[in-house]
Amino acid sequence: MLELVGLSSVATWLAGYGAGLLRLRRRGVRWPAGRTVALVAGLACVAAGVLPPVVDHDETFWVHVGQHLLLAMAAPVLLALSGPFTLALRTLPRRSRRLLLGALHSTPVAFATTPALVLLLDIGGLVLLYTTGTYALTLQHDWLHALVHLHMFLTGCLLAWVVVGVDPMPRRPGFGGRLATLVIVAAAHDTISKLLYAHDLPVGAGPASDRHAGAQLMYYGGTVVDLAMAVALMGQWYRATGREHRRTLRRAGPGGPAGPSGAAARDGVVR
Amino acid sequence: MSTQGGGVPDLGTAGDTRRTALSGVLCGIGVAAFVDETVFHQLLHWHHFYDRSTAAAGLVSDGLFHAGGFIAIVVGLFLLADAQRRRAFVPKRWAAGLLVGCGGFQLYDGVIQHKVLGLHQIRYHVTLWPYDVTWDVIAAVMVLVGTLLFRGRARVAGPGLFAVRRGDG
Repeated sequence: MLELVGLSSVATWLAGYGAGLLRLRRRGVRWPAGRTVALVAGLACVAAGVLPPVVDHDETFWVHVGQHLLLAMAAPVLLALSGPFTLALRTLPRRSRRLLLGALHSTPVAFATTPALVLLLDIGGLVLLYTTGTYALTLQHDWLHALVHLHMFLTGCLLAWVVVGVDPMPRRPGFGGRLATLVIVAAAHDTISKLLYAHDLPVGAGPASDRHAGAQLMYYGGTVVDLAMAVALMGQWYRATGREHRRTLRRAGPGGPAGPSGAAARDGVVR
Repeated sequence: MSTQGGGVPDLGTAGDTRRTALSGVLCGIGVAAFVDETVFHQLLHWHHFYDRSTAAAGLVSDGLFHAGGFIAIVVGLFLLADAQRRRAFVPKRWAAGLLVGCGGFQLYDGVIQHKVLGLHQIRYHVTLWPYDVTWDVIAAVMVLVGTLLFRGRARVAGPGLFAVRRGDG
C-alpha cells in the first residue's frame, strides 16, 4: 500500500518536474540547479522511506522513526526548496496555469497554510499517534499505517512550504513569523521525543531498547532537519535583505545616506 | 579581533549596535547549548539524556532550549554577516552579547534546569556541589564581564573582516 502510493507519486513528480525543465530549456530560460538537486534528493528520501529495507522493518520502532524522519521531515523540506509550483506556473499552458493560480490563491489553501493550523496538525498528529493507542493500531492495520504516513508527509509539506518554501504563497507570514513557527515546532518535536523516552511510549512499540533508540533518533534526527531549515530560512532572509540594502544604497546615490551605518555601508559594500 | 577601518566613526551604545549585540546574545546561547550537548552529553557522558526525577516542565524547557539554542546560533551568525555587510558590526558589543548570552544560558541551565526542574545533574555518582558551584560561578563571571563590555566606546569593524564584496548575497 505504502510502496504503491509512494512510488507512483515519486514517478508523477519526477515526470512533471522533468517536463517543466524541458519546456524552460527549449525557451532558453535558466532554472537554478540547486532546485533540481533538491527535488531529486527529496524524491530519493520519499523512495527510501517506502522501499525495502526500511519498509520491511518498520514495525521496529527506531526504523519507524527513521522512516518518519525521511518521509515527514527531510523530504518535505527538500521538495519545498525545489519550487515545483513556481516551475509549473512558468511552464503550464495558459488555461491550466490560470486554474493552478486560482487554486493557490483559494481560501482553502490560505486556510491550510495558516501557521497556527499547521502547528496544530503537525504537533497534534505526533501527540495522537504516540501518546494514545494509535501507534499500536497502525501495526495491525496496513491502511491505517499508510494513512498515518500520508498525514505526516502532507503536514510536513505544509510546514516546510510555510517556513522555507520558495514558491509564492499568498498571505504568508514574514521572516519573523516563519522563524517563530520553526522554533515552536522544533521545541515541540524535541519535547515529545523526550516524553516518549521518559514514559516508555508509544504503547506496543516492542522492547525498551527499541523504544529508547527510537526516541533518541527522533530527538537528534529532528535537530538535524530543523537546523537545515533554519539555515535555509536565514539564507533566504540574508538574500532578501541584501537586495533591499543595495536598493537603499542606489537610491541614496553617491552622497549616501547620513549617519554612521550609511557611510560605513558605502565603504563596505561598494568596494 | 579585527582590522580597524580608518575614518570609520566611533559608535555609541544605541541604535546601530543593537543588532550586533542581539547577534552576540543569540550566538552565545547557541554556543552554550552546543557545548552542553557535545561536551557534557556526548563526549564526557556526564549529563544523562533523561533522569527519572525530571518534571514535565523540565522536558518542555529542555526541548525549547535544545531546539532554540541550535536555531539561535544560525540566526546569530546570519545577523552578524548582515551587520558586517552594512558596516555596522561592532566587535566589542558582539563579544559583550556573546558572553551575556552564553553565561545567561549556562546560569539558567545550572540553576533552573538542573536544580529547580531536576532535568538532570551535571555528573552522577560524585559529590555534586563543587560541580554546581563551578558551573554557576563561571556562568556568573561571563555575564558580569559581558555586561562590562557593553559600557564605554566601541568601534565598527573594518571592511577586511570577512572581505565582503559587492554582489555578495
